[in-house]
Parts: sequence; C-alpha cells; structure tokens
Amino acid sequence: MNKLLFNPIRLKIMSSLINNSECDFNYLKKITESTQGNLSIQLKKLKEEKYINIKKKFINNYPKTSCSITEKGKIKFEEFFKILITLKENGK
Amino acid sequence: MNSSRDQIEAIASVINNTRENLKPLSINFIFWGCLVIVMSLFNYAFPSLIESTQYGDVLFWTVLPLIGMILTIYYNIKYRNKTGYETYLNRVIKIIWGVFNLSWIYIIALSFTIKSFHPVPPILFLLGMILIITGLIIKFKPITLGGIFLTIFTFYLNFNPGINLLLVNIIGVSLGMLVPGLSLFYSKSHNKSDE
Repeated sequence: MNKLLFNPIRLKIMSSLINNSECDFNYLKKITESTQGNLSIQLKKLKEEKYINIKKKFINNYPKTSCSITEKGKIKFEEFFKILITLKENGK
Repeated sequence: MNSSRDQIEAIASVINNTRENLKPLSINFIFWGCLVIVMSLFNYAFPSLIESTQYGDVLFWTVLPLIGMILTIYYNIKYRNKTGYETYLNRVIKIIWGVFNLSWIYIIALSFTIKSFHPVPPILFLLGMILIITGLIIKFKPITLGGIFLTIFTFYLNFNPGINLLLVNIIGVSLGMLVPGLSLFYSKSHNKSDE
C-alpha cells in the first residue's frame, strides 16, 4: 500500500487534483480542512515525490499558489484506488 | 480513516465537492450575443455615422470586440480565482474559445490586407463550428443546434451574396449565441449553486 497516499490530507489533495486541471492553495485548505502549515508540509511531500506540480505567482502583490497533478501522480493514485476497491470487496 | 471504505468515501466526498458550473460560459454567450446584435443594429441604423471616415467601420468592428474580449477574459479570470479550481471541462472550453479569438484576429487582419475579402462569412462559419464543438462537449443541445444553424446559414450566404451582412450578423448571432446562452443560463442541470 502506498504510504504517501495513506495520509488523509494527502489523499484528499490527490483526489481533488485528479478531478481538476488546477487547484489553488486556499481551495485545497478548505477541502482538506487542514491548517496552512500542515497543508504546506503535505504539498511539499507530494512535490518531492513528483506526484504534483506547484506553481507560485503574485497577483496584486499577494502570493498565489496553485497545484496540478503529474503523470506519475495520476498513475500512483489510480493504483492506490484499485487497491482500495479490492480491499473493500474483500471486506477489509 | 483507516478502512478502505472510509478512504473511498473521502475520495468521493472531495470529488463531489467540485461543481461543474457552466453559468460563466452562458454569461459569455449572452454578453457576446448582445454586443454583436447592438453593434449590428447601431451600424444598420446609423451607417453614415460609422462610415463617416475611411476606417470608421473597421475601427468600430475591431476596437469594440477587442474591448469585449478583454472584458470577458477579465471576467473569466476573476471567476476562476473566486472558485479556486479549474475543471478539465472548463480548461478545454477555455482553450477552444481562445483558439476562436486568435482565429478572429487572423481573419480581421486578413480583411485589412485583402480588400475584396469580407470577414463576416468566415467568422460566422468558424463560430458555428466552435459552437457545435462546445455543445457536444458540454452535452447541451441548444448550443449544438445553434452551431448547426449558423453553419447552414453561412452555407446559404454563399448563394445569396447580396444579402445585408448586418442583418446576417443579427440573425446568426441571435440564434447561434444569444438564445442558446439564455437557454444554458436557465438550465438547472448545467448550473449548480456555488454555495
């Protein structure tokens, strides 16, 4: 089982990114119901493993972070999801 | 959240949180439908005013649509920043209409250099094609039908070259954009609340 995706916050981040071409930091914060610091750490971990891309830009002098899923991230998420389905069918 | 069931539920709840809202697309259609109709009516009613100078009509039909383009791009960026995410469907639609904008600029630039070339028929034909593609992608029949109508209408234009192109614009854009746009705006199945 993929340990990286076993974490609920990281799993929610990946679930959101697999469904959208791009998500902002604030939207991910709302979806994951996590703190700014915790979300930053989880995003960094996913980026280190090349599961996601992080883009930073400034809009009206405010920093804006947006994330998107990579091909590797898509493959890993799909593999993880298939395992979950198998486990669910086996009643675990 | 340890069991596989909990994790699948978490994934489903996150995915369900993304709303495929096509209201901004309908607002774009209504805006462009109204703008082109008002411009065509104005040109039709006051031709001497528009064509008072050598490049009066060219400026009228270039500057105002360019302002319209800037306004719609600004509105779409604002909406994207407000929602905080962009769905794959919205991205595809954005790219398709971006290509249409570029093609529009190309056709207008061509009409500047070739005097006998009138930009209205090719723009309406291209608009018809883009509407068909958009309608099929978002699975909304009025837009597809609007596109089919425009395509047939443009084909008909080739056999009636004497027809007033301002009236063509009004009829084509009303049935190709304004009516489908209003229909999409009031469609409950394609618009979900942001709440």
